Amino acid sequence: MASEVKLPRLGQGMESGTIVRWLKSEGEAVAKGDPLYELDTDKVTQEVEAETTGVLLKIVVADGEVDVGTTVGVIGAQDEDVSELLAASQGGNGGAPEAEATAAATARTAETPSGSEPQSAMGDSAPSAGRTGERVKASPLARRIARERGVDLASVTGTGPEGRVIAEDVDSAALLAPATSTAPPVTTAAPATPSTTSEDIEVVELTSTRRTIARRLTEAWEAPVFQLSVTVDASELVATRERLVELMREGETKPTVNDVLTRVVASALVRHRPVNAHFSDGRILRYSSANVGIAVAAPSGLVVPVIREADRKSVQQIAAARADLVSRSREGKLKLADLEGGTFTISNLGMYGIEQFVAVLNPPQVAILAVGSIEDRAAVLDGGLVIAPTMTITLTCDHRAIDGSEGAEFLNTVKSYVESPALAL
Amino acid sequence: MPELTYREAVRDALAQALREDESVFIMGEDIAEMGGSMAVTQGLLEEFGPKRVRNTPISEMAIVGSGIGAAIQGMRPIVEIMYEDFLTLSMEQLVNQAAKHRTMSGGQVKVPLTIRTQGGAGWSPGAQHAQQLEAWFVHVPGLKVVFASTPEDVRGLLWSAIYDDNPVVFFEHRTLYPLKGEVPTELEPIPLGQARIHREGEDVTVVATGRLVHEALTAAVAAESEGISVEVVDPRTLLPLDEETIVGSVRKTTRCVTAHEAVVRGGFGAELAAVIQHGAFDWLDAPIERVGARFAPLPFAPAMEQWVVPHAEDVLAAIRRTVARS
Repeated sequence: MASEVKLPRLGQGMESGTIVRWLKSEGEAVAKGDPLYELDTDKVTQEVEAETTGVLLKIVVADGEVDVGTTVGVIGAQDEDVSELLAASQGGNGGAPEAEATAAATARTAETPSGSEPQSAMGDSAPSAGRTGERVKASPLARRIARERGVDLASVTGTGPEGRVIAEDVDSAALLAPATSTAPPVTTAAPATPSTTSEDIEVVELTSTRRTIARRLTEAWEAPVFQLSVTVDASELVATRERLVELMREGETKPTVNDVLTRVVASALVRHRPVNAHFSDGRILRYSSANVGIAVAAPSGLVVPVIREADRKSVQQIAAARADLVSRSREGKLKLADLEGGTFTISNLGMYGIEQFVAVLNPPQVAILAVGSIEDRAAVLDGGLVIAPTMTITLTCDHRAIDGSEGAEFLNTVKSYVESPALAL
Repeated sequence: MPELTYREAVRDALAQALREDESVFIMGEDIAEMGGSMAVTQGLLEEFGPKRVRNTPISEMAIVGSGIGAAIQGMRPIVEIMYEDFLTLSMEQLVNQAAKHRTMSGGQVKVPLTIRTQGGAGWSPGAQHAQQLEAWFVHVPGLKVVFASTPEDVRGLLWSAIYDDNPVVFFEHRTLYPLKGEVPTELEPIPLGQARIHREGEDVTVVATGRLVHEALTAAVAAESEGISVEVVDPRTLLPLDEETIVGSVRKTTRCVTAHEAVVRGGFGAELAAVIQHGAFDWLDAPIERVGARFAPLPFAPAMEQWVVPHAEDVLAAIRRTVARS
């Protein structure tokens, strides 16, 4: 009996995903647990495993974005006929055949607005074979105007029902955008635009990761934030890390300064719960354990995998978790679970020689710590100048949830722990 | 210009044809002494006598069949089917005979027969005396189908139907009979296949038939107060259809609502929508909306009946949907 491969819901709030590529081809044998295809969601790209053993009889969706629950493939016995199953599933995938039973018809008419019947939405859900990316909803008139004026429909914001692009939207867009060379000249006086030709502009379509970054950081911008900076003596932090490296055993991950920092920040977080919190739906949720997100520059863009319960882990455990997360981030193999549940974020640009910077909040978290480089700097000690490795850390706080004094107290604890890591135990 | 009711306008066309043309006669159930169940033929027996104003037995098959025979023999009969619901009883004669003879005989015979009938809800006639079945006949090649909505139109179109050499199914709407309207002093024939633009507008075209023409005009006034400019077009002849006027109107307004009292499913609005999407595809800025009755046998209870059939507010709601924004 053939079974459908349906797009799984991998995390809360996941409504759709983009199939990047299939790792098995049609006709190939698959065992339960075999990686079947790569799925790109809002947050992460991951391999989806087969849930049954058999032969991959059909790839229904080779690539592109589909809704959760959509049938993307069929696994069954060799030479099994799956046409009926596919026909049924295509019904389920949209444009369900209308039930003609009287009861159904009566029920439907009872629900529709008086005296009228909803028009079929089949046209909207029709597959867009041969196109790349999402199909843009646009009225035929809008399409014609866009064609005539050389307007890219994908760049037009639709104001019609369900976001459909209508003629007026294209008219507005045509006035704002420079006409392409193939388009007839726009007679209306268009605002001056830079004298660039389309060849000069590299157009980069947003990956879903990039889209998510754009959306979430734009959200973050709504929060009223303030920043607090403090310069700390990193001598002990560096020394602690060196001692840990010396104590490292065969097969263990070499801890970094940032791993030690993660550990002491986690201790500070559980001591200052106002900072270890979410601001969500008009409430503040304070957490008792510190799930620390670490900002990682992955090829597809910034990701923030989470080291869970960092306050209860040794530096060695943190290092192991970090190494695993970072390497999977780089390979695009993070799972949604790796990215969820963070209560605080550390962003470290020290390795790039950045001395000090301000990080943007990672909502719904209420604070993020920006860590600068550790440099030998002149410092005043006991009334005299000394040279010491110092670093500047900057805390960005969501003022809706945290007041200045709370942020300052937290930052002072971090400073104490960094300068005397043993205090964090 | 004189003013006539829709009923008087039908009667006037019949009387003038009877007066001027010996080949014209009318027949139907209770149309003579009683003047027809809708009082359309009142007084005609007195003027034209029982040979030209003929009562028939209660058999729609016989009424249409004898009309076909008379037409083939050179007469221009006008038969009345009391309720269009009863057309179902004459389908064999209408569909298999009247519609076919001219082409099957290679043009040797013509069937210049007019079948007048009426229907429509609004007065609690129940499920069997108020249907709107015009779409059934639009599906039959060889017939012509007319649905008039004003006194002027009904008089001018009936004249053209009588003098068309093909069988014409001529629909009147029950609730329009008392409707008054100006008509030309002299009867002016209105060619079949010519739509009428009742009102010009810029934003959306409502293509409406029968009673819904008036509901659409009411809706158009309401829409105007909301800043929506509505054009109202009545095809008047459903077969042949004036596609040029209708498509032209939608190309201008870029949006369309179809409206009739018949149920939406498989209704004439579906045919209109198909014609319009094909002819005006690149001009459409919104899905075509269809307004019609809910898909149910018409209830007898007045409140339920009113709920089932469409009104001006339903047309207005559809108009709003075509110009809606998310």
